[in-house]
Amino acid sequence: MLSIKNLHASVDGKEILRGIDFEVKAGEVHAIMGPNGSGKSTLASVLAGNEKFTVTEGYATFLGQDLLAMSIEDRARAGLFLGFQYPVEIPGVTMANFMKLAVNEQRKFRGQEPLSAAEFLKLMREKSAVVELDAKLTSRAVNEGFSGGEKKKNEIFQMAMLDPKLAILDETDSGLDIDALRIVATGVTKLHTPQNATVVITHYQRLLDYIVPDVVHVLYKGRIIHSGDKTLALKLEKEGYDWLINEYKE
Amino acid sequence: MAALTDILSGFRSVGSERLRIGDDSDAVQPFVAVDSAKLRVEVAAGVSARLVVVHEKPLASSLSFLLERGAQLEVTEVFLGEAFAEVRTVQAADSSCCLTAVQLAGANVSYRIDLDGAHAASRVGGLFLAAESEHCVMELRTAHNVPDCTSDSLMKGIAGGNAVGEFRGLVYVAPDAQRTDARQQSRNILLSETARIDAKPQLEIYADDVKCSHGATVGQMDAEAILYMRQRGLSLAQARRLQIEGFAGDVVRRCGIGELGEVLMEAVARKMETM
Repeated sequence: MLSIKNLHASVDGKEILRGIDFEVKAGEVHAIMGPNGSGKSTLASVLAGNEKFTVTEGYATFLGQDLLAMSIEDRARAGLFLGFQYPVEIPGVTMANFMKLAVNEQRKFRGQEPLSAAEFLKLMREKSAVVELDAKLTSRAVNEGFSGGEKKKNEIFQMAMLDPKLAILDETDSGLDIDALRIVATGVTKLHTPQNATVVITHYQRLLDYIVPDVVHVLYKGRIIHSGDKTLALKLEKEGYDWLINEYKE
Repeated sequence: MAALTDILSGFRSVGSERLRIGDDSDAVQPFVAVDSAKLRVEVAAGVSARLVVVHEKPLASSLSFLLERGAQLEVTEVFLGEAFAEVRTVQAADSSCCLTAVQLAGANVSYRIDLDGAHAASRVGGLFLAAESEHCVMELRTAHNVPDCTSDSLMKGIAGGNAVGEFRGLVYVAPDAQRTDARQQSRNILLSETARIDAKPQLEIYADDVKCSHGATVGQMDAEAILYMRQRGLSLAQARRLQIEGFAGDVVRRCGIGELGEVLMEAVARKMETM
């Protein structure tokens, strides 16, 4: 589904990603961990197409297409979803209005008819239940005045609405209390099918108790220095990153 | 502006320079005045009325609105041409006046509002959209001449190209006008490096028991919000349009005529697409 080879990217002339190789297949869940500043969020942003970052080397394909040649919106329409670490507030724009445009834009891209008002409302009701999102929030402005937990639930709600092929969740667990974490993580699990894939970027093992990864990668200084199965996350939780970093230096 | 013409054709046209809206008026149907050089509107005590003023031609006009005790007036002023308008509002006790001004061309409007009776309330919403080399001016002077009045203004400006926008606001509170509650906000967005907006909200207060606030901001489109919307599949144009609608919507929809607000939003969005 997603294939990345030797990906280098920089921002303001500073190289953040320094040769990433990474492969995600349908049905898989990958976790990306690593110390602060290792490039995890940059990787997510580059894959989503954030123009702030410049790809200097390497390539990436998504569902057989050249991902890096696509605009942000075309990546989204092709089925790539990014759950933002800091969801953005959009004053004056209601969630319902925003989602209706987004859903119908994506449908248009896939040659489907736009949803009728009734179909759309039904879909919203159904999907807000996935993350126990208060239905009232959908009539409010996007993320405006939402609590930290509501913002993250809202990201997963949008993921449910858009039904992406590949979801990259950038620290979706940060700033969540235990209940909100359970709801958000359970929501992600419910949305997982053999046809789609999820990449979760996280600092904490606890998210992976719910979203069990097939592969755990450790990113350090812009490179994946180690990959392992789900037990790697537990080991990292207990022992930290130092042993890996030392191994990497040697 | 076919949609606008359609809506207005259903309203009562004001032909003369003087209009008195009394008890016998049908309050439901709004009045409309197009390109009036001079117009004086009186709203009788306790009467509610709605008025739409349209400036299509580049003419100067002088308008005055007099609200008697307890009268309510909602005015929506639309600038489609480079008009120059002076608008004077005088409000008696317990009256309430809501003004909404939408400038879709490089127009110049100056509002002067006198709150002359206790518990008079003024609410003003303004939006200008200055493109290319247009120059939009909005001036608002609200005078709290007596105690216990409220005023609330929200002025928004968008300028692109080489356009210039100006907002000059003044809230004046007379020495005896205690317990005045006045709010004045100016929010502006620049779409280009060469566009300019000057926003000057000012307060002149001679009473000591008052609640007054004012503020002005000039910023750019929110790049993060645009990115966020595009990540969900919206095109750049759609994301910009949605953001501008979100920015302008609360001012434009302040106008008390729902369908007119929607038509104006549509016009704002269409103009935005060219900016």
